[in-house]
Amino acid sequence: MSAFGHVLEHYVLVATLIFGIGCVGFLVRRNVLVQLMSIELMLNAVNLALVAYDREQGAGSTGQTFAFFVIAVAAAEVAVGLAIILAFYRLRGTVDGDVADTLRH
Amino acid sequence: MNPLATVFPPNDFALLAVIVGLPLVGAFVNGVFGKRLGKEAVTLMALSSVGLSFLASVATFVALRGARAAEQAPRFVWQGWEWMRVSSRLDGPDVPIAFDLSVDPLSGTMILVITGVGFLIHLYSTKYMEADAGYHRFFAYLNLFVFSMLVLVLGDSLPVLFVGWEGVGLCSYLLIGFWFHEDANAAAGKKAFIANRVGDFGLLVAMGLLVYHCGALDWRGIDAAAHNLLVPKQVWPIGTHVPLASLLPDSAAAWLNAPRYATGATMVGLALLLGAAGKSAQIPLYVWLPDAMAGPTPVSALIHAATMVTAGVYLVCRLSGVFVLTPAAMFAVAFVGALTALFAATIALVQNDIKKVLAYSTVSQLGFMFLGAGVGAFSAGFFHVLTHAFFKACLFLGAGSVIHAMHARIHGTEASQDMRNMGGLRKFMPVTFVTFAAAWAAIVGFPLTSGFFSKDEILFKAFTSSPQAPLGGSMMVGGRSVELFTWPEWAPITLFVMGVAAATMTAFYMTRLIVGTFLGDFRGWTVVPGWKAAHGHGDDAHDEHAHDEHAHDEPGHGAAGREGPEPHESPWQMTLPLVVLGALAVVAGALNAHALFHSHLLDTWLEPVFQGVEKAIVVKENSKALELPLLVPGLLAFAAGVGGAWWAYVARGGEPMRALAERVPGLHQLVYEKWRIDELYEETFLGAVDALAEFAVWFDKWVVDGLLAKLTALLVAGGGAALRLAQTGRTHAYAALMVVGMAGLGWFFTAPHAQAKVEANHDEGRYVVSAAPGLGYRYRWATAEDGSWASDEFGAQAKVELSLEVGTSRTVKLAVENAFGRVEERTLLLERPRPDRSGPGGATTIEINRGADGRLEGQVAPRPIPSGAFPGPLGSALRVPPSFPVPGGGMPAPRGAAPGGPVPAPGVAAPSPGGAR
Repeated sequence: MSAFGHVLEHYVLVATLIFGIGCVGFLVRRNVLVQLMSIELMLNAVNLALVAYDREQGAGSTGQTFAFFVIAVAAAEVAVGLAIILAFYRLRGTVDGDVADTLRH
Repeated sequence: MNPLATVFPPNDFALLAVIVGLPLVGAFVNGVFGKRLGKEAVTLMALSSVGLSFLASVATFVALRGARAAEQAPRFVWQGWEWMRVSSRLDGPDVPIAFDLSVDPLSGTMILVITGVGFLIHLYSTKYMEADAGYHRFFAYLNLFVFSMLVLVLGDSLPVLFVGWEGVGLCSYLLIGFWFHEDANAAAGKKAFIANRVGDFGLLVAMGLLVYHCGALDWRGIDAAAHNLLVPKQVWPIGTHVPLASLLPDSAAAWLNAPRYATGATMVGLALLLGAAGKSAQIPLYVWLPDAMAGPTPVSALIHAATMVTAGVYLVCRLSGVFVLTPAAMFAVAFVGALTALFAATIALVQNDIKKVLAYSTVSQLGFMFLGAGVGAFSAGFFHVLTHAFFKACLFLGAGSVIHAMHARIHGTEASQDMRNMGGLRKFMPVTFVTFAAAWAAIVGFPLTSGFFSKDEILFKAFTSSPQAPLGGSMMVGGRSVELFTWPEWAPITLFVMGVAAATMTAFYMTRLIVGTFLGDFRGWTVVPGWKAAHGHGDDAHDEHAHDEHAHDEPGHGAAGREGPEPHESPWQMTLPLVVLGALAVVAGALNAHALFHSHLLDTWLEPVFQGVEKAIVVKENSKALELPLLVPGLLAFAAGVGGAWWAYVARGGEPMRALAERVPGLHQLVYEKWRIDELYEETFLGAVDALAEFAVWFDKWVVDGLLAKLTALLVAGGGAALRLAQTGRTHAYAALMVVGMAGLGWFFTAPHAQAKVEANHDEGRYVVSAAPGLGYRYRWATAEDGSWASDEFGAQAKVELSLEVGTSRTVKLAVENAFGRVEERTLLLERPRPDRSGPGGATTIEINRGADGRLEGQVAPRPIPSGAFPGPLGSALRVPPSFPVPGGGMPAPRGAAPGGPVPAPGVAAPSPGGAR
């Protein structure tokens, strides 16, 4: 079928699995730090899928380029996210996401 | 002549732009810089711009005469710029609307009057308005008026004319309300403006109809395509039947529902008449003109007597090629004119305000012009425009001179214009009296004066000529013969009698006016020679009082018992225009003195404009012999009117009229209050508008604000409250919702969507079905009648074509498979309807062609109808007999066309089912 043979399905399966773990982790955990890590998981799952499909397609390397962009954006996101969490912790003394509901009012 | 022709060739006659442009420059300079320039500079600017424009008009006139002498077409054009394009109904190119100016004998004569009389009135105003604080403003408006009027007259198409038409309306409004600090003046300006809006509506409708029927708006284009206006259109009932008519008895319902037809020419003619009636103060829109006398008297002379109010007559003359195609509209024009002439004259009989009398007299004289144009005597109507410009301008300026003198001691507007305060001014103001008397002689029809000839010409034509119905008076419509309107037998004699009656009344009230103003004893104040004003002003300083606001005199005899100086003659700037206009009022009749001197100067001069249309006018056989005898009623009218007024007001000192007024006090009061027409309009139209406005206010307050706004607010507040519940501030909840949404989107993108578009051509029975594209989509079709799939496999074919017979239908199935192997199906029903054949003849095209002899012939050219024509929205059909010659060749030859050559008419599509859509 391609240079991968039937391996693509495996990569997609793993990506889906990691994405699911990240998704559920984000939804069920209160700790903002853990939520941030879950986001990282999802982003990396997408990266894996992008690279896998790109290899499968064979021509060009748009998918890999895109994955690099995602990594760069993820790094920036983590930097900003950790700063926010730090500020939040100094303000409230906790990293529980449910406490951060001021915008509701 | 020759150098002029070299500099200004006929097709690029830039002198027209100069004529139009100079007053605009004057208006701009006086309007923007006038206050800083000072009085002398404003005077110089105003007079020189109009004066130079007059000289350029004279040069144009000379050039026109030269072209006539050289047997060239007397028509010069200056092409400005293309303004815009509007789409026409005909399958031709768009109708260009260009800012072009053109001049021909008709407009060439008009511009002489506008700039010539305009210059005299400008000169007069330099003294009349001398003491006014708004001196520069006045001359800016006046110059702007001259500019607009020149655009109106020189415009080569209806839209350009309309620009000038609105421009003069604006200037009229500004000048009527010139002393706007008095509410009455401002109200009079508004009244004039609004009454004119009603008329402008008609003009706009006419323009739309002309684009629809003729596909042209310039004069030559309209003339060339005027035959298209002969196609009758069903104008009644609107839709298929009259709503609720079935509730009436059968015969009444049938009468109501019977289809009625009007030719395009009639609709255009009536719409134009509404426009002309607004501008030229005809029934029912005349009410603004008497009130317009609130403006300064020179304005009344220039705008509301000599030039602007004749624009309606000019319009009728200019589009005479359209009017002769429609005796119905001509009938309306003639009777509106005659009625107005008669009606306004009755009001003028009893007014005491000198300007009011002249105002109603103007309305009445405009009625005479309409009467002339309505019977097809366009050049006679225009002749009266010309003579009326002279004598009425002279009368107004004379009245202004009198009012100017009255202001020595009487400052109230009403009191200074009241005839009961005048009298005996003959010995104090000799020049004003003599010129006023000359203009009086002209308007009452004193033999050999200009008014005598022009009025008799109109009366003569009213008696002897009448427009002829085109196409032999009938047309076949929908298989039936429909009679077109023809002039009734009684019309000429009725119009003639009305005209003579109006002329008699004119002679009566004008004599009353001149007797009341200039003869007898002075009634304004006790004249004390060498009298000095008690409050320190010298004799000559009274000018500064002119139009001051301290109206401390009551109307009527309020000033009696007061002492004052001798009323004095006006300065030369005011008397010179009077002398020139008075002289013209006496001698201008020589231009067209048919009856006595066989002088046809004006008729000959205007012949290139009217030669085509006058063929459509039937003239009584023995009319030449009637010319002299028909002078007698006119002379009798003059003698009876003048004699009656002389007997009543001079011989008996007004006693008989007072007695008459006392015998019928109700009637006298009614006429004195102008038949209470203003009050009638107030109660009906204004009342209706007010009621509508009040209803709108109520609706806005209670329904829009009270109900709709509150309901909306409630809805929004409720929605907000519900949504607020969902806003928990918990990121988890939001994220969970997002996951659900993303899952939904993912589902949508992985499911196939079998959408298809049908391009139907019902006429030819071809149908193209194309499926919507999608990522990795493959298609399968079932187009056969049994509904079986074309193949078992899905393929790349995204489009199928099939054809259907009339009246059949077909079920088409489409199945779409996407990249995930999922399949969706859709079923479409295609149907080819039966064509609508309710009309008896189906689609018909009439082709009207001009034969070699200039007659029009129409031919029915049945178009091959495709067997499955798509039903059009119109159910009616039109049939015209195979050939309908136009009797008498009653069509203006298109001036641009080679003489005698056939002019192919654009196919005139009847309102046919299955038109070219």
